[in-house]
Amino acid sequence: MNNRGIMSNAEWRSPAGRLIGLLYLLVLAFVSVVVIFPFIFSFTAGLHNSIDVVKPGIRLWPAEPLWNNYVDAWQRFKISRLFFNTAIAAGGGMIAQLVVSSLAAYSLSRLEPVGKKAIRALILVTMAVPGIVYLVPRYVVMADLGLVNNFAGLWIPYAASSFMVLVLNNAFDQIPRDLYEAAQIDGASEPRMFVSITIPLSYSVMLVLGLFAFITFWGDFLWPFLILRDSELQTISVRLYTLTRGFPLNLYMAASFMAMIPPSIAAFFLQQHAPRGGLTF
Amino acid sequence: MASTTVRARVAVEPARRARINWRKQGLAYLFLLPAMIIFALVTWYPILNTVLYSFQRVNVAGSQGWVGFTNYERMFGNPVFWIAWKNTMIYVLLSLVMGAMVPIVLALMINEMRGLSSFFQTIVYLPTLNPIAVGLIVWRQIYAPEGGILNSLLKIFNLPTQLWLQDPLLAKPALIVIMTWIGAGGATLLYLYALREIPPEIFEAAELDGFSVWERIIYIALPLLRPRIQIMLVLQIITVAQVFTEPFILTNGGPASSTTSPVLEIYNAAFTRTDFGLASAWGVSMLVALSLFSILYVIFTREDLGKGQES
Repeated sequence: MNNRGIMSNAEWRSPAGRLIGLLYLLVLAFVSVVVIFPFIFSFTAGLHNSIDVVKPGIRLWPAEPLWNNYVDAWQRFKISRLFFNTAIAAGGGMIAQLVVSSLAAYSLSRLEPVGKKAIRALILVTMAVPGIVYLVPRYVVMADLGLVNNFAGLWIPYAASSFMVLVLNNAFDQIPRDLYEAAQIDGASEPRMFVSITIPLSYSVMLVLGLFAFITFWGDFLWPFLILRDSELQTISVRLYTLTRGFPLNLYMAASFMAMIPPSIAAFFLQQHAPRGGLTF
Repeated sequence: MASTTVRARVAVEPARRARINWRKQGLAYLFLLPAMIIFALVTWYPILNTVLYSFQRVNVAGSQGWVGFTNYERMFGNPVFWIAWKNTMIYVLLSLVMGAMVPIVLALMINEMRGLSSFFQTIVYLPTLNPIAVGLIVWRQIYAPEGGILNSLLKIFNLPTQLWLQDPLLAKPALIVIMTWIGAGGATLLYLYALREIPPEIFEAAELDGFSVWERIIYIALPLLRPRIQIMLVLQIITVAQVFTEPFILTNGGPASSTTSPVLEIYNAAFTRTDFGLASAWGVSMLVALSLFSILYVIFTREDLGKGQES
């Protein structure tokens, strides 16, 4: 357990250490306020009436908080529908990415396919080419496959993550060979070993990578904006963007605040499971 | 057991004499198959097509034939091309000046926070986790010329109010502030993990040798963080150069193209004018401009991942 920072605990308790600590704390408190300000702002703006919310001046807390705005926004924006759509898009993308990447990583790590180096290089190359470069031809592929207005049009591109393949490949490489040999003697097949050795032993890496993927897909904008044209299918960021005009600002802010709740909950999960060691995103 | 079914072969390099077990190979490729199909469909084939499309006239109905360098001539002939890339350079420079140091400083401070460190860690990461589009809608209200929080604050201190997103001089820094708000958390976490990997004995020894806190940061922590800093700076350049959502939602490239970016132009060419050929030429320009940084990113990441493997 790492029980010291750059400063030792004794130093931390000395007068000079306390002064530095106080300075750090002040800076971090200030940064925290700046960082969470937009969250607080959207929360309280959502409680104002539709006239006060656009008036100049700083009124963080309304005289009469209109809690009903949240109920109103929930119904008029059909937030439950939007959450559902977003969960389908992000959840499906996450599962697809985990399945595809872990299978490929297992093959690269254990099964020694002929041309392993070339395959790895090809996967690495996609990491070096910014996704935006080939956005248009990729859209054409998806349109040709008839996947516009279809969640599969999101899941398929989401499934391809060179980063996840490489990280899992490294993680699988670290599993002791003896375990596999022992299982082999007991007559376990490769798929069996994949399911009962590799996956359980890489559970925490996969959980963190999966949560990251989920959060990224939850907030993704451009690709769902292109693929999901039908308002009944749209994810929450796309829908809130397309509804910019035509709703009172206070309801709009209330809806925005509600949109930020699920990823924030995911953040606390991530917090608990995030590895102490290094993970390069 | 397996040797009876093996068809032994001498590999291309005679020194290795690898034996190929075809049953095992079948299985290996079966595991690889989903990834190969999907990567081919959504990355390899589109990347190839970007280059091919850039020499064709392509619209929603498909390719209308080869046109040589016409798309490139149109792209270079359009003043917006140079403006968009100039904007990109300014975005990158501003983001490095305004944003690159922020996560390093935050990580050093949070690392020292003992009990409170995980609290601050979660706070700074919140904006990164939240949908960018939603965050931007809130920021638009903060920057609003009338009734926006920022201008209301300026009024309290009797300072002149500003048209944050409508002023060509202020719009870019205003967007960079948002990008830093969004992106700093992820980088902070990364540096924090790297700091925690440093064996405490190193700092203990330095302390005994009389290194001050400041000297320990400068001479020990920062040099040890260097590989991660390299990765993050390159990644920041690549990410900022691909900026789209911020100008798309907040300024739509304006005022007078002062916030437009190559990706925004790709979007407009492809999806408002359905000129896929021109959009692909833009894509190629992006590929060329970012290739150096992308290669550096891959090299740095591999070094870093490889290092983790040894330990």
